[in-house]
Amino acid sequence: MGGVDVGGGGNGKRQLNMEINMIPFIDLLMVTIMFLLITAVWVSFSRINANAQIPGPPNPEVEIDPKAPEKVLNLHILDNEFKLVWKQGATVVSESTSERPRLQGEFKYDELAKKIGEEWKTHGGHQDKSDKALDQAILHADNKLVFKEIIAVIDALYDVQRDMVIDNADKKVPVFNMSFSVR
Amino acid sequence: MSGGANKRRHGHHDPHSHAIHKPGRRLMHKVPLNFVFTKVMGGGGRNVNASLNLTAFIDFLIVTVIFLLMSFSASGEIAVDKNITLPQAENVQEVLDAPMVSVNGNQVLVNGTPAGSTRAIEDVGRMQKVDEVFELLKRQREMWKSFNPQKPFPGVAILQVDENVSSLVVKSVFQTAAFAGYPNISFMVRKRGKPAQ
Repeated sequence: MGGVDVGGGGNGKRQLNMEINMIPFIDLLMVTIMFLLITAVWVSFSRINANAQIPGPPNPEVEIDPKAPEKVLNLHILDNEFKLVWKQGATVVSESTSERPRLQGEFKYDELAKKIGEEWKTHGGHQDKSDKALDQAILHADNKLVFKEIIAVIDALYDVQRDMVIDNADKKVPVFNMSFSVR
Repeated sequence: MSGGANKRRHGHHDPHSHAIHKPGRRLMHKVPLNFVFTKVMGGGGRNVNASLNLTAFIDFLIVTVIFLLMSFSASGEIAVDKNITLPQAENVQEVLDAPMVSVNGNQVLVNGTPAGSTRAIEDVGRMQKVDEVFELLKRQREMWKSFNPQKPFPGVAILQVDENVSSLVVKSVFQTAAFAGYPNISFMVRKRGKPAQ
């Protein structure tokens, strides 16, 4: 049991060594642990971003500044490979492929992420730290493809990151903003 | 020292009569005071009340409480449909407070309200607008705008999609949400730890 020794004592006076009863303290700790264990959240969920690329309503007060279309990465998920096509408007700027491994269990495309990183270094339009805009990527997936494969591809796409100055500090952000191709 | 005590300890009368003694305790056997000798040789009654050192136990409890408090989340757990197995991803962000569209192998739900069948979308075989999802999301958007008339609508929705649902269903729901005024769509995933570099 806990105690406080303040020395002295004797001579028929009151005992100076005090015993603190630790039982209520231990009880409190036990109850706190039980409460925290019961209310603990063991599974943490997160989100992976996508964007439907829908332009907002036209603002008549803002003058429209015609710009040359940016390069966009079109990522096609084919049966045995991934096809990476950089397009500027309707013009194909570059085309390359990456092998699509047959995955089992954990779905993760490391080689694809590396390939996308290399491609972005060559063709990416927003590489400067101060540039707040992101490059666009459009995902072309077959209707029968299962969702976990799509997420694995999006994950590989977001694996390529760059520094961006946000609130006067460098932060790592994915280089692409992703959307789906629809017909 | 008294002679009796000496006899009791050594077990013979004349210490010079034998050169070799029987093996026995040697330490502390020459303590002159009887009551001290009894104590040190392990004699006498043992105290019935044993004192237990609780310091290590209390330390352990405090460390456990601190760990649990650090990992405590006041916002609670986000409800995920029991029929949905979320896929895993590494490059993720924190979950936002936004309308939740759940898609499992059989049906589509908007904030827990049934809003269409997955099978029906698959049977059609092409992308389509899911009318019930559209109506429910539109209603949510209008409600948000009536409560926050001065603020711009963020247009964020979260899709909880089962990992084995087909791309056709995902794209249909994605497009429907975009039509309903939610262009910023996120997919809910289970976070997977990044491998050490």
